[in-house]
Amino acid sequence: MGNKTFPRGGGHIPHRKDATKNKPVMAMPAPQQAVIPLSQHAGAPCRPVVKVGGRVKLGQKIGEAEQYVSAPVHASVSGEVVEITERPLLDGTKSMCVIIENDGLDEAEPLVAQDYSRLSVSQIAELIREAGVVGLGGAGFPTHVKVEPPKPVDTVLINGAECEPYLTCDHRLMLEQPHKLIEGLKILMQAVGARQGIIGVEVNKPEVIRVLEQACAEQSYVRVAGLKVKYPQGAEKQLIKAILGREVPSGGLPADVGCIVQNVQTAVAVTDAVVHGVGLYQRVITVAGAAVYDPRNVLVRIGTPIRDVIDFCGGMGNPAAIIAGGPMTGQLVQDLTAPVVKPLSGILVLSKDEISYELNQPCIRCARCIDHCPMGLQPNFLADWSNKGLYDQAERNHIMDCIECSLCSYVCPAKRGLCRSIQAGKQVVRAGKTAV
Amino acid sequence: MNAKQELWAPVIRTKDSIPQIMFDVFLALIPCWLAGLIFFGLPALWIVLLSTATAVLVEALFMRYPLSLKGIFGDGSSLVTGVLVGLILPPTVPWWIPIVGSALAITIGKLVFGGLGNNIFNPALIGRAVLLLAFTAPMVKYVSPFDAVTEATPLLAMRSFDWALVWGNVSGSIGETSVIAILIGAAYLVFRKLIDWRIPVGYAGTAFAVAYIWGLDPWLAVTGGGLLFAAVFMATDMVTSPVNPMGRLLFGCGCGLLTILLRKYTSFPEGVTFAILTMNALVPLLDMLTVPVIFGARRSREQRFATTIAVAVVICLAWGVLAVINRTVPEEVPATADGVYLPLVETLGTDAYATAAINDKVYYFTGAQEAPEKVALVGSEQGYHGPVYFYLVLDGSGRIEHIQILTHSDDPGLGSLITRRSFLDQFIGLDGTELVADVDIQGITGATISSRAVIRGVANELERFQEAFYGSAGDDAAAGYVDGSYLAEASGFGGPVKVEVTIVNGRIAAVKVLEHQETLGISDEAVKVMPQRIAEANSPDVDLVSGATVTSKAIAVAVQKALDQAEVKEPGGSQGLAANVPDGVYRGKGAGFNGDVVVDVTVAGGRITALEVVEHADTPLYAQGAFTQLIPAIIEAQELVDARAGATFSSRGLLAAVEAAVSGAAVPSGGGLAGDLPDGVYRGRGTGFGGEMVVDVTVSGGRIMAIEVVEHADTALYAQGAFTQLIPEIIARQEFVDARAGATFSSKGLLEAVETALTGKEAQ
Repeated sequence: MGNKTFPRGGGHIPHRKDATKNKPVMAMPAPQQAVIPLSQHAGAPCRPVVKVGGRVKLGQKIGEAEQYVSAPVHASVSGEVVEITERPLLDGTKSMCVIIENDGLDEAEPLVAQDYSRLSVSQIAELIREAGVVGLGGAGFPTHVKVEPPKPVDTVLINGAECEPYLTCDHRLMLEQPHKLIEGLKILMQAVGARQGIIGVEVNKPEVIRVLEQACAEQSYVRVAGLKVKYPQGAEKQLIKAILGREVPSGGLPADVGCIVQNVQTAVAVTDAVVHGVGLYQRVITVAGAAVYDPRNVLVRIGTPIRDVIDFCGGMGNPAAIIAGGPMTGQLVQDLTAPVVKPLSGILVLSKDEISYELNQPCIRCARCIDHCPMGLQPNFLADWSNKGLYDQAERNHIMDCIECSLCSYVCPAKRGLCRSIQAGKQVVRAGKTAV
Repeated sequence: MNAKQELWAPVIRTKDSIPQIMFDVFLALIPCWLAGLIFFGLPALWIVLLSTATAVLVEALFMRYPLSLKGIFGDGSSLVTGVLVGLILPPTVPWWIPIVGSALAITIGKLVFGGLGNNIFNPALIGRAVLLLAFTAPMVKYVSPFDAVTEATPLLAMRSFDWALVWGNVSGSIGETSVIAILIGAAYLVFRKLIDWRIPVGYAGTAFAVAYIWGLDPWLAVTGGGLLFAAVFMATDMVTSPVNPMGRLLFGCGCGLLTILLRKYTSFPEGVTFAILTMNALVPLLDMLTVPVIFGARRSREQRFATTIAVAVVICLAWGVLAVINRTVPEEVPATADGVYLPLVETLGTDAYATAAINDKVYYFTGAQEAPEKVALVGSEQGYHGPVYFYLVLDGSGRIEHIQILTHSDDPGLGSLITRRSFLDQFIGLDGTELVADVDIQGITGATISSRAVIRGVANELERFQEAFYGSAGDDAAAGYVDGSYLAEASGFGGPVKVEVTIVNGRIAAVKVLEHQETLGISDEAVKVMPQRIAEANSPDVDLVSGATVTSKAIAVAVQKALDQAEVKEPGGSQGLAANVPDGVYRGKGAGFNGDVVVDVTVAGGRITALEVVEHADTPLYAQGAFTQLIPAIIEAQELVDARAGATFSSRGLLAAVEAAVSGAAVPSGGGLAGDLPDGVYRGRGTGFGGEMVVDVTVSGGRIMAIEVVEHADTALYAQGAFTQLIPEIIARQEFVDARAGATFSSKGLLEAVETALTGKEAQ
């Protein structure tokens, strides 16, 4: 049912989800050594609260967030802290990490089940913050900040669109843990005082819609909305427009139109955090691509090296590219020893046939980027101005409104790196603003 | 395509590529190419092949593409440009035109700007624009489909929409004629999402609306020329069209408006090329002014303002062009036929026309003089303030195909209304029997005198045309014979053939062959049929009987001799003014009111057959009236008639001039250049700007009757002007005239050629 969508731009891209969408999530054994970065989220890094040589339990907080826009990190194994040092992350940059030698015992803090219906807004937010829950769809924005919006909110949306090709982790979670998802949605609604909760799912996942509709049959204020299959249906502003018809103003937040949006896995993590008091130390990621032997969704501890995850999925042969995240918005993995972090939704091991290179042939002004831009921008000009250093002009023409969905780069017949140029331009504009 | 491969997100991308897009456009052009092949045959094949091969090769050499089977095409854009250049050429062009056109399109149209994506103007149209300006004549020479007879494009030749336009069974550029083929290509491009409907729909829609408002046939306007092809394949060129939807719509509308404007007001038969090139130049502005509203924002006041400005720019541009063109419309030019550009090539559809002076009037015609296909002429008539000069194009039967006012000196807003198409278009398709003011042609309120003058002048010219090309109409001709029976003979195959011609009521009533010694059996048919034919036609000038040509001819000649006896002795006849004057044109001078009146008197067979006032200085209002009355009177009476009251001086001047001309006739005014030459056609050569030129000079009765430029290598635009001015002048004056400024070389070449023709004295 339902074929809601956002009105302008967007496009159809291949799905490539068949290899993993029907396989149940498989839990992967904890790594021998967990490498847990102190910055896995948008915002300030954490301060380590453990010492080298100290023992930690599973789920114990090992990094404390000292600023509001930040989130603590937790131990994903029990054992001894062997080192606190800089280690390479997925994108090749180095960051402070706590390295824990796994003792194999998984000794955990005792679970404390809570009845959240009696908790106040700030208590729920504090529980979420303590558990280190951040946006697990890819952005990694601290969730406790989102549940204390600056304006009144009447609707909580759960983003189950999962419009990126290959990725099926949200798909599997919605199928396997619908009640936990709906519980999380209800907690979020209580936290922000929303009247309704809606889960948006693309209609190419009919079984998910069926399961979720059954699960929320008795809840009058929680429902499922079918979304047209179109990229980027799962982008925050486009999702709000598609389901509620509300348009987030340029430069504004979802709260400006009375709603917040959370990812499926984030909602599940909220349930864990609030109901069970468990810190976020594991997540489900999709391992897919033609160059990995046994593509599947795996439940993996934060801090597990990427190479271990790929090996767990049968290893790889002749990969042309390894991507962290989806093929549209993800980034190239620069170092296979880099650990799994909270916002990582997938590891794609792609063969040569699956990828396409950036060629930067001359722009022939076909304007497909303009026709497809879901934000109504002119990516060809924005990219051009960025490349030429005309940042003022780019800013006047709303470069900061770009949601970096990369659809412009996808549709470009000249295979220009439009989105990449725009991202670079945005960084300069943003830096210019903070400098002033 | 030597771009560096790099791997960055997104790591998946569309399969579409620039070569794929170019190949799709190429595929979309194939129906048009096929249509061209069907209608115009092999030239459509080799012209497009030549243009394509040149484009691909030139680009490959400049861009240093690998010269392999696949690599030579590079990004494929040269393939598309090459095919486009070929398809927009007439199927008659010489072999080097597609080569020059494609080479120009690729180099100055694209590569000098920095290659694909950087060019401001549509490369193929740049190629065509240069060709049009540099080699006008071959670029506007169109032919009919299948039989390749030279003819004008439907825009000029047709008056309203015809279904032949849909199939493309009309003259035009190779790929531009078939609406069906173009629409098939368009459908494919829309299906492949390679063109935005806004450009072709805006283009054709605006052209349709503007044509309708201006009283043109809107369906013909859209389907009759290169408009539809350009709307689908040229204006939609991605590189040179706007990127925003609103900008594209405005771009299309601007192209449509400009195309109709240019067609209506310039000397080029088609406005598409310059319309699109002009709009190409506006693309950056349109891009800037039509930025779409982004997600999450309202249309700002600035954006609304910008869009308004964009619409205004397009409209102002169109009207600006109109204003500039209006300035050059003949209203501002001094009222003289000299120095006004005659659109001969455009309206006659070829530069291979002949020029001849018949009855002292210059005609430009195509086809044989006995059976002209089209005839162009300049006529004049007294308007309100002065003479109105108009330009007429007639078909072979004397129907008006085209009329335009060249110059007039009547009041702007009143008399000048005669230049309106709504008035002039009434003439189209009419012939001499259908020109009654306010019945066939509605005059113009506020310009009654001027409009009536045009109607009168045109009617006169149609009559003169009939006389010039077909002799007097049948009834009038016979009216000159005196009733009775006449005997005459002429030599046939076996001996003299004797005939008796009976005239009743001034017409040939019967022809009888009285005697002959022709071969029995062979000549029977001629003896039987020829008299019937001659009696029917009321003239010995009839088709001969094949198989018995000599006998037929003998009968015809004998009848002519008989008729010569039956010739009416006109009043004044042998006693008339010019009775003893040999045939020729004589010039005389007399004193009018303000100065000399100069006339040319044409004498034939001892009679004054024509009088022309060459020069006078009197007040037109008086003098003109006097002349228009006196001249016919003199010719009729064959003597000097009484002066006209109210314009006594002018009348007397005229009469004195005529007298002087006839009495001083010992020296024919044609005693000029060809005075002592026997009749014949003389060929001469001269050197023009671009090379040798060859002319044929026809001499008859010691006068130059016609000059035809057989061959020349000069720039058509300049040379044409020189020839159309000089030739009538030489014929009128029977002497060398001054070279024409702006085309000195062509003029000098012509004069030289005429001189060598006359001094070489070799009749062909």
